[in-house]
Amino acid sequence: MRIIKYHTPTRRYFNPAAVYNRSLGHGFEAEINRWFDTAASGGSQQASPAQFKVDFYQDETHVYVRAELPGFARDAIAVEVVEGKLTIEATRESKEESGQTEAKLNRSLVLPDDIKVDGISAAYEAGVLTVTLPKKEEVKPRKVTVEVK
Amino acid sequence: MNCITNVMPSPSRTPVAKNDHDVQGRDETREPHYEVKETADAFGVTVTLPGVVKDGLEITADENRLIIVGKRAWARPEQWTEVYRETSDATYILELTHENSIVPEKVNAELRDGILQISLPKVAAIKPRKISIG
Repeated sequence: MRIIKYHTPTRRYFNPAAVYNRSLGHGFEAEINRWFDTAASGGSQQASPAQFKVDFYQDETHVYVRAELPGFARDAIAVEVVEGKLTIEATRESKEESGQTEAKLNRSLVLPDDIKVDGISAAYEAGVLTVTLPKKEEVKPRKVTVEVK
Repeated sequence: MNCITNVMPSPSRTPVAKNDHDVQGRDETREPHYEVKETADAFGVTVTLPGVVKDGLEITADENRLIIVGKRAWARPEQWTEVYRETSDATYILELTHENSIVPEKVNAELRDGILQISLPKVAAIKPRKISIG
């Protein structure tokens, strides 16, 4: 069930409680904010040539990361998850007159806690990489009743 | 009174901003990143068009212009909610001008993994000519 459709990062502050009344989404949102804050404070990320653009989407069961990586061979793109961090690395070798040059792009993103790490898949089409990350099934809150004597 | 009701937001109206991103995506255009190289016989243009497939690409070449229009093939599925975005849905448009220096009929283009390579053979008149001295 989609409660609110929102489009720009700024609008997410509009009514976070309504958008994320589920703990799943809320955790993810917090992680994205945290990641974005660190990225933004680390300097002008857009100005760096070794960066590529990423988008985040989610639905009930999955989180999706789409990265623009035009002109890479499939085997030159490495997607890794280590200690809750998703790293996308792409390498391109090109032969120029001055010799062989290697361009390496990479980006790391902090993943929310509720991602099932062993079910991650990735596809590359038209220069865009889509990483599909399944969410863990919602954990039921543990209820403990304490008897009052 | 009528004009006031038009201006006042009413709960029954659909919010104007609701689909602004989609609308932007349709109307907005942007110039893609590109590179031009030149050899003795031809010009080579490399255009970066991530998200564009063959069907969404239109190349027009005439006597003094080369126009490349690339529409993105991917559309966000209904169930997906945007969480954070850096890319845009804008259509790529690149217009390059030249002075009647290429042969439009011999333009060759190849699109692969979001990179478009176009070769534009030069007209004979502008090719360098070696003149041997007898």
